[in-house]
Amino acid sequence: MGEITFFIDGLKIEANEGDTILRAALEQGIYIPHLCYHPDLKPFGGCRLCTIEIEGRGLTISCKTPVEEGVRVITENPQINKARRIAAELIIANHYSECLQCARNTDCRLQDIATYIGIEEGRLQRLKRTVRDLPIDDSNPFFYRDPNKCVLCGICVRTCEEINGVGAIDFAFRGFATKISTLKDKPITESTCESCGECVDRCPTAALARKGSERPAREVKTICPYCGAGCGIYLGVRGDRVLSARGDRQNPVNNGQLCVKGRFGYDFVNHPDRLTTPLIKRNGTFVEASWDEALDLVVAKFKEAREEYGPEALGGLSSARVTNEDNYLFQKLLRSLGTNSIDHCARL
Amino acid sequence: MPQPQYKVLVCRGTGCVSGGGDGVYEALRAEVEQQGLHNAGIDFVGCHGFCQQGPNVVVEPDGIFYTQVQVEDVAEIVAAHLRDGKPVERLLYRDPLTGMAVPRYSDINFYIKQRRLILRNCGHINPEKIEDYIERDGYRALRKVLGIMTPEQVIEEIRRSGLRGRGGAGASTAMKWQFCHDTPGPIKYVICNADEGDPGAFMDRSILEADPHAMLEGLTICAYAIGADKGYVYARAEYPLAVRRVRIALAQSRERGFLGKNILGSGFDFDIEIKEGAGAFVCGEETALMASIESRRGMPRPRPPFPATSGLDGKPSNINNVKTLAAVPVIMDEGAQWFSEIGTEKSRGTAVFALTGKIANSGLVEVPMGTPLRDVIFDIGDGIPRGKAFKAVQTGGPSGGCIPARFLDRPVDFESLAQLGSIMGSGGMVVLDENTCMVEIARFFLSFTQAESCGKCTPCRLGTRQMLEILTRITQGRGHDGDIDALLDIARVVKSCSLCGLGQTAPNPVITTINYFRDEYEAHIKEKKCPAAVCDALMISPCQHTCPVGVNVPQYVAAITEGQYGKAVEVIRERNPFPAICGRICHHPCEVRCRRGELDDPVAIRSLKRFAADWYFQNMDVDPEPFRRTRDERVAVVGAGPAGLSCAYFLAQMGYGVTVFEALPVGGGMLSVAIPEFRLPREVIQMEIDYIARKGVEIRYGTPINVNYTLDDLKKEGFEAIYIAAGAQRSQRVGIPGEVEGLEGLHYGLRFLRDVKIGREVTVGGRVAVIGGGNVALDSARTALRFGAEEVNIYYRRSRAEMPVSEVEYEQTVAEGVKINFLVSPTRIVTEGWKVSGLQCVQMKLGEPDDSGRRRPIPIEDSGTFIEADTVIAAVGQAPDLSFLPADSALERTRWETLVVDSNTLATNLPGVFAGGDFVTGPGLVIDAIAAGRRGALAIDRYFRRDASPVQMYDLKGEIAQKPAPEETEEEWEAQPRVPMPILPPEERRRSFDEIERGFSEERGREEAKRCLRCDLET
Repeated sequence: MGEITFFIDGLKIEANEGDTILRAALEQGIYIPHLCYHPDLKPFGGCRLCTIEIEGRGLTISCKTPVEEGVRVITENPQINKARRIAAELIIANHYSECLQCARNTDCRLQDIATYIGIEEGRLQRLKRTVRDLPIDDSNPFFYRDPNKCVLCGICVRTCEEINGVGAIDFAFRGFATKISTLKDKPITESTCESCGECVDRCPTAALARKGSERPAREVKTICPYCGAGCGIYLGVRGDRVLSARGDRQNPVNNGQLCVKGRFGYDFVNHPDRLTTPLIKRNGTFVEASWDEALDLVVAKFKEAREEYGPEALGGLSSARVTNEDNYLFQKLLRSLGTNSIDHCARL
Repeated sequence: MPQPQYKVLVCRGTGCVSGGGDGVYEALRAEVEQQGLHNAGIDFVGCHGFCQQGPNVVVEPDGIFYTQVQVEDVAEIVAAHLRDGKPVERLLYRDPLTGMAVPRYSDINFYIKQRRLILRNCGHINPEKIEDYIERDGYRALRKVLGIMTPEQVIEEIRRSGLRGRGGAGASTAMKWQFCHDTPGPIKYVICNADEGDPGAFMDRSILEADPHAMLEGLTICAYAIGADKGYVYARAEYPLAVRRVRIALAQSRERGFLGKNILGSGFDFDIEIKEGAGAFVCGEETALMASIESRRGMPRPRPPFPATSGLDGKPSNINNVKTLAAVPVIMDEGAQWFSEIGTEKSRGTAVFALTGKIANSGLVEVPMGTPLRDVIFDIGDGIPRGKAFKAVQTGGPSGGCIPARFLDRPVDFESLAQLGSIMGSGGMVVLDENTCMVEIARFFLSFTQAESCGKCTPCRLGTRQMLEILTRITQGRGHDGDIDALLDIARVVKSCSLCGLGQTAPNPVITTINYFRDEYEAHIKEKKCPAAVCDALMISPCQHTCPVGVNVPQYVAAITEGQYGKAVEVIRERNPFPAICGRICHHPCEVRCRRGELDDPVAIRSLKRFAADWYFQNMDVDPEPFRRTRDERVAVVGAGPAGLSCAYFLAQMGYGVTVFEALPVGGGMLSVAIPEFRLPREVIQMEIDYIARKGVEIRYGTPINVNYTLDDLKKEGFEAIYIAAGAQRSQRVGIPGEVEGLEGLHYGLRFLRDVKIGREVTVGGRVAVIGGGNVALDSARTALRFGAEEVNIYYRRSRAEMPVSEVEYEQTVAEGVKINFLVSPTRIVTEGWKVSGLQCVQMKLGEPDDSGRRRPIPIEDSGTFIEADTVIAAVGQAPDLSFLPADSALERTRWETLVVDSNTLATNLPGVFAGGDFVTGPGLVIDAIAAGRRGALAIDRYFRRDASPVQMYDLKGEIAQKPAPEETEEEWEAQPRVPMPILPPEERRRSFDEIERGFSEERGREEAKRCLRCDLET
């Protein structure tokens, strides 16, 4: 267990040295409101919602404060509540308020905070609604960027830099005009963005949201079919349709991360042009056939070729989309046929 | 006689350059050459600090200081001074009080109280010549440090000096150095923070422009102390001259071996690079500054880790402000002990301020820490221009607080300023005068900080924005209840929860202006009034807005210019039924706000009112039509003073039946009984009362309301509403031993004036002593003089600054021969038998200001004196007299025996009974009484209409104001002082009750009216 013992609201908590108070609290199932904290990223200290008090030291933010032996953390008192409430109200007054029309409705960290704090309409009316009407960037085929729903937590910026090392976006402009921007504020497709969607996955609101807001009825745990890396994914499925994909955080191969193909490249599954049965060209046109028919044809043609020209006339071309094991079996098969001519699309 | 060798130093700081300093420099060089003079070297220097008077030229060795020098003056300076040895007197600085020329730099008030230590070389050396710096002992400290001191000894010396960071936070410099020194690491950095971005601040820029080596030497010593071999100067790109001079200084230092490898043979390697910032205010914050040097977005990050452990590129780094670093060489040179003896216990050394705003001497000043604000503003800064009153000072740049007058005696140091809700900051000091709106000033500063917020943390990005929205709404007249609380709520959270210093200090202007000037916020929110007449959206013209009754001044002044004097009076009467009276005795707050006053003198608004009213009564006063009676309700008004008669007049105008009940046989109230004939003749009062009566107001004289004839009786007679305006006519007692009513020779000011005015016999002796300092005291003294007193002395326990009387009245009183003795307080009335023989008095001194901002007088021990007098007039104040109301009256009273009324509607606790004027507020000004009368009339009208909304007295938009403003043209403008009011000479008036002011002739009146700038026409 942990090396450091301290107290949150009188509860004894054990944590690892170097942990922050917020991380330790969340791991113990104690909720402290936060927006800009993400467990995968370095602390940022921007939203100021995770304000707590350390006895004898005054208010501080828990996402940035390391645990210390014996300290007593208070997460709730009138001063903290006031600070937190006002910070939350400021964000809410500056946020799109039509939750029902939002892709992230019921799956939104800001809603969590509003619920936790408890909104008082009378208090909110003291503030001016400051939501701006900024254009939505829909240049990317997979996701929207809606700056009007952005809370400037900076998680996307840090994800892009810390996790992917791309740095396609950053904070830009000053004061109230601050927003997340690409270089020269161009559409995201004209930036260095690789559309991996890691930021979309971490965005606490719908400022970054996948296109197509239908939610799946169930999830299927599987392996991404695209390459041999074997990333674990959950496919979101409704009926026989695949609606979404997300990384499996428990999978040791990818720890939840995905690339653009794994995250967004599932359209083909339900595509009308997708081949669902082998085709055999008869009289110049492809005609549907059964697997037996197709394999029989391949066997026949192989035999024919080998008999006529010798085994060296055969060759095999494998795919990067199959696993290492399959590739291994494939070369075994070809060698058993007597040829060493095997190649792979990844080499081309 | 050999000619002296002159050195002529032309200021080429940014301020003087913008005034033409470069041209003066070139012209001087050319002129000296052309005239073939060999005894004068022409050189230039950086900022002297006295920017108000620039371009400045100093001629050494005598230190002759020329101000506001232009190219045209150069020939004369060369010919007269440099050739013939006679300084050019017309270019010398003149003392604003005496008007005397002050030839020498060192004798000018602006410099006398300064102690220039950080600015030691500014204005004395050519900043582009390292030789000049070395000649004034520059780089001696570095030589000493590298030669004989270890880094630890350097840090110890700085520790002993008590030096604290001059950038704002005031952290201990030695602690920062020690921390960085103790962090192990092969690479460390030192950084000079020259990212000065506050509006109105130019301390760091001036130092870099005038003495760049001082900073470079300090930075090098710092690098040696902490073990850094690389330094950065982070200056903003908007400071091109500073950047250029630092570059030149860097090149010269390297050439001389003060920078680079093996400095001065010590084996210490160090070099410095300039990094130009793009001008983001937040980059003055150290973590943002380092991010900017790293070519990342200038955005602060939470600390820890502190820069001393993980700073630039993650390496241990130390950041100091320009001024801190510039102080380092002189500390190492003169010793820590010497430095620590300057200033206060916790704030050692000196503070540099950029003094700006409404101040006579703008400029750069340096004073020992602990110097009172008053000294900086009134001695060095020479106070507020144009005779305006000081209102507040804002220290520490846009995120500092506004400190009101009552704290002027507080010392300037880190702790004192923090206690007052402000900050030392980097050294901005903006002086605000009485014509500054504190809500608008808070809005202005916040608009800067909210725009400069980096946007990272919620409270700063959104909190400042919301506060700005609320403040903007208030200044536009759309504020509502709860706004002040909302502002404070947000401000406190922004202050306590923001990530960096920018957000943590941004609410200071809001919090301090609410704390110290809450009434101004309330005036904006509740009355939609801007007391300083600044907020455009709330007003049409400042004069009208300031007038308590809201007379449309520009319109009647315009009518006078057109010769339509009758119409002018009509315009005045829309809001004020007493044009002739107010034209004589109003204290004219309108004139203080007059925009013309910003140029030369305010328009003589009061005198113009009198001119129009006098013309009206002489030429127009045919029987006016009475107001038409359109309403059934009848109102009784108790008291025929200005408040009562105004209320009656406006009620009659609205169509009500009004009867005024007056106890005395005459009307006018205080006007008739307290204001002497020589200021306000009886006929004038009578004319105005007659006019009101002829408009349909019934006045019953000699009809007191008392136990025999009560308010209930009035109600029974059918008066459905009652307005009580019975004035404040009870003289207050001084409250000292020997004060016994009925003593021969003891009078009370108000009763004394009344007796004189109504013709009772009054006896005044030869030596009169008047106690008090207000209007009644002055009027009593002047009246006593006219009764033949040989000597009249006024004894006032405070000083002139605290006297609540106008300049004109004060001057007239003194001119007539009344002696005013300040800071004297009577302790006993001495009698012989039943007769006054004198006053026992004590000397006072002024202590700390009280809540009203007036400094409290304190007796000086053992300073008692006896003053002989056969007549004593006590005029220490008046109070309302409630004795006419039955003791069991249901009317609610305050502890101070005044009625409790609603401040907006003047309603008492009894339905239909209202009260206003001096009777409610205590003795006040006539125009305030008229305003209370008008407010009462509006409230009573609302009462009858069952309208519960608050009374609001909006400014009137006159027909002329609606005409489009004429096309703006660039006009040549010439100062034209106001037309003086003709007055009786003192020798004629001191024995006569004739009116002193004689009024304008038609020609002079129209001439004066034309001075109005018609700022009501602004679009």
